Amino acid sequence: MASAASPTSTIFRRPKQTSGWMSWITTVDHKKIGIMYGYSAFFFFILGGLEALILRLQLAGPDGTVLDAAEYNAMFTMHGTTMVFLFVMPVGAAFFNYLLPLMIGARDVAFPRMNALSFWIFIFGGIFLYSSFLFGTTGPPSGGNLPGGATDASWLGSTINGGWFMYQPNAGPRFSTGTVLDYGAIGLQILGLASLISAVNFIATILNMRAKGMKLLRMPVFIWMTLVVAFLLLFSLPIIAVALFMVTFDRQLGTLFFDTFQGGDAILWQHLFWLFGHPEVYILILPAMGIVSETLPVFSRKPLFGYPAVVFAGAAIGFLGFGVWAHHMFSSGITPVAQAAFGLATMTIAVPTGIKIFNWLGTMWMGKIKFTTPMLFSLGFVALFVIGGLSGVTHSIVPADWQQTDTYYIVAHFHYVLFGGAIFGIFAGLYYWFPKLTGRMMSEKLGKLHFWLMFIGMNLTFGPMHWLGLQGMVRRTWKYPAEYNFGTWNMVVTVGAFIIASSILIFMVNWTKSKRRGVEAGMDPWDARTIEWSIPNPTPEWNFGVSPDVQSLDDWWHRKYDEDEDGRPVRRPDADSTIAQFHDQGVNPPAPIHLPTPSYFPFFAGASFLAVGYGVIYHTRGWGLPLLIFGVILLLSSLIGWSLEPLEEEHEEVHA
Amino acid sequence: MSDVAHEEHVHESTGVETRKLAMWVFLSSEFMFFGALITNYLLFKGRVGYTAPYPAEIFDIPFTSVSSFVLLMSSLTMVLADHAIHRDDQRSTRTWLIATALLGMVFLAGQAFEFTTFVVDEGMKISTNPAASAFFTLTGFHGTHVLVGVIMLLTLIGISFRKGRLSTATGLNLENVALYWHFVDIIWIVIFTVVYLIK
Amino acid sequence: MAEAQTKAQPSPKQYVQIAVLLAILTAVEVALYYIEQAGVSGRIVYPTLIILAILKFIIVVAFYMHIRYEKGIIARFFTVGFFGALMLYTVVLGTFGVLTAMSG
Repeated sequence: MASAASPTSTIFRRPKQTSGWMSWITTVDHKKIGIMYGYSAFFFFILGGLEALILRLQLAGPDGTVLDAAEYNAMFTMHGTTMVFLFVMPVGAAFFNYLLPLMIGARDVAFPRMNALSFWIFIFGGIFLYSSFLFGTTGPPSGGNLPGGATDASWLGSTINGGWFMYQPNAGPRFSTGTVLDYGAIGLQILGLASLISAVNFIATILNMRAKGMKLLRMPVFIWMTLVVAFLLLFSLPIIAVALFMVTFDRQLGTLFFDTFQGGDAILWQHLFWLFGHPEVYILILPAMGIVSETLPVFSRKPLFGYPAVVFAGAAIGFLGFGVWAHHMFSSGITPVAQAAFGLATMTIAVPTGIKIFNWLGTMWMGKIKFTTPMLFSLGFVALFVIGGLSGVTHSIVPADWQQTDTYYIVAHFHYVLFGGAIFGIFAGLYYWFPKLTGRMMSEKLGKLHFWLMFIGMNLTFGPMHWLGLQGMVRRTWKYPAEYNFGTWNMVVTVGAFIIASSILIFMVNWTKSKRRGVEAGMDPWDARTIEWSIPNPTPEWNFGVSPDVQSLDDWWHRKYDEDEDGRPVRRPDADSTIAQFHDQGVNPPAPIHLPTPSYFPFFAGASFLAVGYGVIYHTRGWGLPLLIFGVILLLSSLIGWSLEPLEEEHEEVHA
Repeated sequence: MSDVAHEEHVHESTGVETRKLAMWVFLSSEFMFFGALITNYLLFKGRVGYTAPYPAEIFDIPFTSVSSFVLLMSSLTMVLADHAIHRDDQRSTRTWLIATALLGMVFLAGQAFEFTTFVVDEGMKISTNPAASAFFTLTGFHGTHVLVGVIMLLTLIGISFRKGRLSTATGLNLENVALYWHFVDIIWIVIFTVVYLIK
Repeated sequence: MAEAQTKAQPSPKQYVQIAVLLAILTAVEVALYYIEQAGVSGRIVYPTLIILAILKFIIVVAFYMHIRYEKGIIARFFTVGFFGALMLYTVVLGTFGVLTAMSG
């Protein structure tokens, strides 16, 4: 590797490592960043899953004794917060990072260093949130005390405990006197910043970095959903940022935004939170919808039925997602007019969702379906998401919603959407693109075992919650007495949760074994449709040996197949030589390729947020303020160093 | 949107320079940020009956008018700097950048003076009543945005002195700083009317 | 860099003229504030103030931020952000009854 231009400054010389831990810290390669996002998100998935198992042990029978009330609060809060902010969102970012440039035919994202910055802010934000287990304190409400007169909960209970929604004024300074909710508010603020930066980056990438001929309506649906998600993040994160600042100021500076004793407003928090929170649930589900819109056509060997309708339905879901937030607040005393309006708006959103479902069914109709593992997960997604979607529509009927609010019926609903939906979609994507990452196939045998265990476990876990909820079992309550007769079904739920856990273990075994000893994938193992499969597996460092020239939607498919007069695909005689030609130019690029140069600054800029976060929480202690100032200076100097870094080296030649 | 796709520009499918596009995308999200802060103030300013004084009772309109004028004029100097760099007139660019940074600092000094007057002389702290909380948070975040702008301007001025010239190819480029600066100005146009002038 | 600007941008002299106009509008705003203080109904003054603010806003965006001279895609982002925020927060304030209180 040699740089074409000589560096202008020795201080700001850019790092060169291509292997070892340093190469990961300084990397700006979207593929490496995507892989790091993926592994760290999976790590948090395990933590969130363990928290769920602890909750289920507590609730397996009446009057559980595994946890006390404070520990239960902490566990369900951390479970929700982890799964939303530290698993599903970053795993979405992992897919976007790895696949976005490959699917639009680009060398990298628009701003490679900003992309690395997003990742490092996310990592340090996650570390910050979880460090509350070690350092956080849970004080009694002012004028009250914790159960049993304790002054602080155990370490398991001394972490964020106000629910992922942190309703006010419960999570304010008056009723939560310890530091854990400062960790919550500031930690989420840091994580939000990471997502905001990546949203700007992805929008700029999708709009501006498309390969020749990649018109907007030739982009894969997954890229469209990435674009919609990025816009949802862009417009919803500033709202939660303001809300979290308000909480932090209430707790640190004594502002009175949510102090209902002195003119503050608890309902304002609910508005701001759900203005963000409802788009957020589409942020969680749309990547999975994009994934199955890629896998279903490939394994049905048919084009996606009604591509423009799927795209516009996705955009419509994003748009309507901003107009339904108050359906989370039907029981908060908003006016009847608002209830009617938001109830209607909520019903409307079922229309574009239904359009998507029927298009997926239409895609499979008359297709030659191959039941591979990714296809099974995609089918699982469609089936379970329909159940979750239908129970969701029942919430739009206001009187019914009053009955369901804060019961396990709601828990059942959103787990069908987020576990049955988002997580099944994510696993479909992991199995489908595994060869792209590693050049090897995952074991189909273990994969199918994983699918069936997870499918059965999922329905055992979340199915019974529907009727438990309608019988009156309330959420966020740490135990229930035997005479309520909830015991049997709760035992079933707990057994289901452990079946899910075992299926995840099988997945981990499969992943680790296949990575080393899986069958070699070769070119295009799934006989796929989109251009990320027109390059060798695993993806070369430079992505495309020759920048693609996109002729049509599903460009790669049309290079391999013609249609007969009935519209059935007929493999072109030159298909094999086309594939061989693409393989050769992918492995041996005919011309030198410019790649972005690594940088130290994203890592340090990200790390500075740890110092800022602790500094804000402990600013009243002697060392807090200096730490805060240190963090700000580290951040500023990283960003200034960033902007002074020689750009001539930004593009470095790779002599392959 | 597909009508703007220019086949010949592989790296700029929309025909808009990528960094500029990203800056506009970011700025459009800032409306949500300041919108929420303004909403807070509008909600809380009507809630009286708690500890006085309330922001609307102690505004110093002549003083704030001068501050607003200063910020407005800094947009003029900024656009002149932007105009100069497009003609590669490095000297004027530097002059106008320095003028903009100075005007920005005057605005910040004015805000610091205003806050001090409110807290020390008038006894309205951020924790006095919810309207005061909302007022200080809104104008404080606006001030923070101005501060970030001033830091970016100073960095540009520093680069200009150190290297003798500014190039449009640096990571931090003048055109985007200008867009950011004008945006902070239009937010103040809204705040000045909605918060200060309308009771 | 694809500048691709179709219309010529203003000259420095025109920028100064725009600034003078902005300064006059600001002076009118402050004057209106004192007119309201002197007893003229807010029902007349406040809508005028809002129109003036919108005018200043548009002038800065159109000329200083060059949105007039840019591709339409940028104006679209900006309008979506602005009107999106306006609509959402109007609804929020509406559910609190703040808007009816202000207009009444």
